[in-house]
Amino acid sequence: MTNLDHGKFTRVTTLFHSLLALDVFLLFFTGYAIMFNSELWWMMELMGGATGVTALHRIAGVGLVALIVFWTVLMLISPTGRSNFREILPAKADTEAFIQDVQFMLGRADERHPHARQFAGHEADEVPLLSYVGKGVVYIFAVELLLLTVSGLLIWSKTGLMQYFATRTAAMAFVVFHGLLGVIMLMGVMFHIFEHGMHPAFYPVETKAFIPRSMIPESHDDDEDHEGTGIERLELSPSWHSVSTIFGSLVVIGIVSVLMGSIVRGGYPVPRELVVSGDVTNLLLTVGINIGMFVLFVGLILSMYGNVMRVRWEKEMRRQRNRETVADGGDPNSDD
Amino acid sequence: MSYETPEVEGYSPIAVFVSAIVGIAVAVLSVWWASGFGPFYETLFRVDPTIEGGGVGTDWVAGNAIPALDFLIALIHAADVLMGVFILVMVFLHWASFRRIAARMRHPGTDEEPETVMADGSGDGGEAE
Repeated sequence: MTNLDHGKFTRVTTLFHSLLALDVFLLFFTGYAIMFNSELWWMMELMGGATGVTALHRIAGVGLVALIVFWTVLMLISPTGRSNFREILPAKADTEAFIQDVQFMLGRADERHPHARQFAGHEADEVPLLSYVGKGVVYIFAVELLLLTVSGLLIWSKTGLMQYFATRTAAMAFVVFHGLLGVIMLMGVMFHIFEHGMHPAFYPVETKAFIPRSMIPESHDDDEDHEGTGIERLELSPSWHSVSTIFGSLVVIGIVSVLMGSIVRGGYPVPRELVVSGDVTNLLLTVGINIGMFVLFVGLILSMYGNVMRVRWEKEMRRQRNRETVADGGDPNSDD
Repeated sequence: MSYETPEVEGYSPIAVFVSAIVGIAVAVLSVWWASGFGPFYETLFRVDPTIEGGGVGTDWVAGNAIPALDFLIALIHAADVLMGVFILVMVFLHWASFRRIAARMRHPGTDEEPETVMADGSGDGGEAE
């Protein structure tokens, strides 16, 4: 039995996911060092002041456009991409899965819906390619990245933008719009890190995003009739309780603070009421937004850790293949 | 401590904790000292303009005259709040689910064989909490 039996990413998807994460994190760090400058001034200093930060943000922006276009084209020209398109269409089961998740939280359902299940276990066949959360992530990312790219490109040349919107303030409004738009993604990414880092069966990181499915042996022990997912056969990590409690709290503080920050800071084009720094609320906001950045940093570390796991897994697989051509459980099929 | 961590056996958790606190405190204080206990320049030389007083930056307010952009910003503010609340709901939803799932897993220290749990009679294993 393995807890890797739910691998759904191909090799290209794992690499794309890691690159996209790196790029988006860099955009978050540079972008919010500007937008939440009163709270994250140190971050701007660290990345070379206003000039350095804007330069980095633009470089990462070019990278993001390249990544988005790459993925769109790949999805259109490859049979795999086109056949997967059906998988992201919303289904009735997604709503049911959300409702059942609420019931599961309240103790009124015994299991999570297959469309919500992260750990499929023995019931891997019932679990779709994308959970309802996964679909939501795809849709929100698609809309957000499109709007952020368009507004970002317009901001790139502020003088160009001012040709269309006569005033300096109008050009600045686009910057505000761009920053406020990113807040949704920032909050979503914090949730994403929690969702895929703190699942008790996969803690500290869900490896399916890093180890391609071609490298995961599938065992079909059909002779045994299993009931349930088999979650009770897995051992919980000793640190899970404390770490998930602390990290969950940090994620909540981070999301709330960033949300509050966006309300307080994000006026058009300057806040309607200027907030004088130094009072207690401001201190809390500063601490909270920095905690949010810490959550992102943890996400970055987990992404790296996932990649280290892949390298170690690859090595192990190669070692096993060298020793004996056919492993005893399932044979490691080398390519898709 | 409820479980054993073999790597730090011989050190009491309190000693490790105190050392960590002292280490971090010394590191932060040394950097603070090295920077000359200077004021945070961030808090100085702040211009505090008001519209009534006609201070620095009032001209920006005069630019808030494009209704479409004003609406767009208001809209995105609303979207931020709505999505933020929804995302928080999702965090709590998963947090609670994860705790329930964790309660079903084998806990470290219990030497029960998985089969023993399965043979309990209850279909979903031993739910401890």
